[in-house]
Amino acid sequence: MTRLARITWLLLLSSGLLAVGASAQVDITVTRTVVQRIPIAVVGLRASGGSDLAAQALSVLVSDLEFSTVFEVLPPSFMPFNPREVRLGEEEKVLASLNHLKVQAMVVAELTQRGKDLTLEGRVYNVSRGVFLGGKRYFGEVTAIRSMVHRLADEVVLRLTGERGVASTRIAYASADKGATELYLMDYDGYNPTLATGNRSINLSPRFSPDGKLLAYTSYRDGNPDLYLLNLESGRRDKVSALPGLNIAPGWSPTGQWLALSLSKDGGTNLYLMRPTGGDLRRLTNGYAISVSPSFSPTGRQIVFTSDRGGSPQVYMMDLEGTNLQRLTFQGEYNASARWSPRGDKIAFASNRSGGFQIYLMNPNGTGIQQLTTVGANEDPAWSPDGRHLVFTSSRTGKKDIHVMHADGSEQKRLTQSSKSFAPDWSP
Amino acid sequence: MLRGREAREQQWTGGRFWGPILIVGAALLLTGCPKKPEVAGGPGAAGGPGAEKVTPAKPITEAPVQPGARPTDEGPLKDVFFDFDKAVIREDGKQALNEDIQWLKANPTARTMIEGHCDERGTNEYNLALGDRRARAARDYLVAGGIDAKRISTISYGEERPFVLGHDEAAWKWNRRDHFVVQK
Repeated sequence: MTRLARITWLLLLSSGLLAVGASAQVDITVTRTVVQRIPIAVVGLRASGGSDLAAQALSVLVSDLEFSTVFEVLPPSFMPFNPREVRLGEEEKVLASLNHLKVQAMVVAELTQRGKDLTLEGRVYNVSRGVFLGGKRYFGEVTAIRSMVHRLADEVVLRLTGERGVASTRIAYASADKGATELYLMDYDGYNPTLATGNRSINLSPRFSPDGKLLAYTSYRDGNPDLYLLNLESGRRDKVSALPGLNIAPGWSPTGQWLALSLSKDGGTNLYLMRPTGGDLRRLTNGYAISVSPSFSPTGRQIVFTSDRGGSPQVYMMDLEGTNLQRLTFQGEYNASARWSPRGDKIAFASNRSGGFQIYLMNPNGTGIQQLTTVGANEDPAWSPDGRHLVFTSSRTGKKDIHVMHADGSEQKRLTQSSKSFAPDWSP
Repeated sequence: MLRGREAREQQWTGGRFWGPILIVGAALLLTGCPKKPEVAGGPGAAGGPGAEKVTPAKPITEAPVQPGARPTDEGPLKDVFFDFDKAVIREDGKQALNEDIQWLKANPTARTMIEGHCDERGTNEYNLALGDRRARAARDYLVAGGIDAKRISTISYGEERPFVLGHDEAAWKWNRRDHFVVQK
């Protein structure tokens, strides 16, 4: 054969041998595409008095910054000084050595406690340019320490990316206990679960309004699945749809001016639009098929939903007026729970195409299907408001609990320990 | 919406005064229903295990019962069972409904609530709609059989109120049903 061919064969053979050799010795982990994280140093939060509040604040701040996927927090051992001892007012002294370590950002924080009152101050720096970007001071009670640190973390993300972080957000979910299913709210990291309903009946499908002030949900408290709105600030509850049959599966338009929901009053379970007051009811789908689980695109122009009009539950898309109906999923017998990313570029959904239910992403035209979960049964995906993360239900531990992961499927972790929690939604 | 194995707790924690009757009722249910008409029905009846013949050819299946699972008491009206993701009335369902029609005609003041239920597979929201469809299917059959529609109400519980807790077909098939509750 020609010289070139011989060389090519040699190269192929040797690389093939190398690959074989490599796989025989090393476990090759498939890494997903990693976006470059900004290296950040967290300094300050010096322990004072006998309390470990500063240590707690540090731990929460580091977790928040890491989870954001924006930052990679520099381990303290890498710094040639003790980061804990850096005081507010002295932080500029360490900028040079941090820059030397190729750190690009720094947050310095200090906690002051007076009795039950706590002050947290944080300042954010662009290390590469040695420039102060901004700072905030938070006042609150000691019991609010986690919330205060979450706010600081969001401020850091905002200063460095121009986008607000999600550390101050909450997750609503349903949890079954002793024959009732109640709704709960918890911090985005699983802390501080609080009861949102308490009517000892079945409560389902919590959905935050786009301004975060209202929670829509279905409740059987009056003996029928009716739609309610809970005002999260005032605690006031309104029953906004109590038509005969089902009033279920609410989905908010991005402006909060419309609720899409499924009603069975006319035979068949069809999608309707309604004002959050309950008025202005408009029908979107017709017939005796089932249409449920509406999710608006961030432009508000389209809705994805689940329907069995084609014979099995599949994901469909239509315009807001109910026109231009298209089927998006064609593989697998059950595709459902579609949720449109706030960024507009992806739709998350649950599918049993690979056997059990898993969570997938697809482009809004149905192409580019990516599988995100593989372990256990996984369903009910919901996006974080920045579109970087997903919360979902997983039974991988044997029982249903709320889990989170990043939008590329990485770092999946459990948030609840209840063993019967499901149907999460993420606040704005 | 789960598959996969689950450690089964075989213990029945008591505390319910009609517990033994339930166990008997459940055993009868598992051995006879839905193909055989029940000789002893419901918690009010005094029938014991001696009243029901167990067909030797058919193995007895078990499914775990735990606190939180609903009792399977059927009352005087027979429940109707369904195939996965279907609301079509099977032959055995028609038999049950025909008997229900007879009972309702014989008790003209009685009303019934039909509860539509699903097994845990599939999404909660879709299953609410499927349960609704199952309840309406039974209602339509009763109405076609001459029962006044005003005597029938329907409600769907989707997968939210299973009768048998478990993560395989042995449990699932008991949850895909219309459950009839008599309202006097």
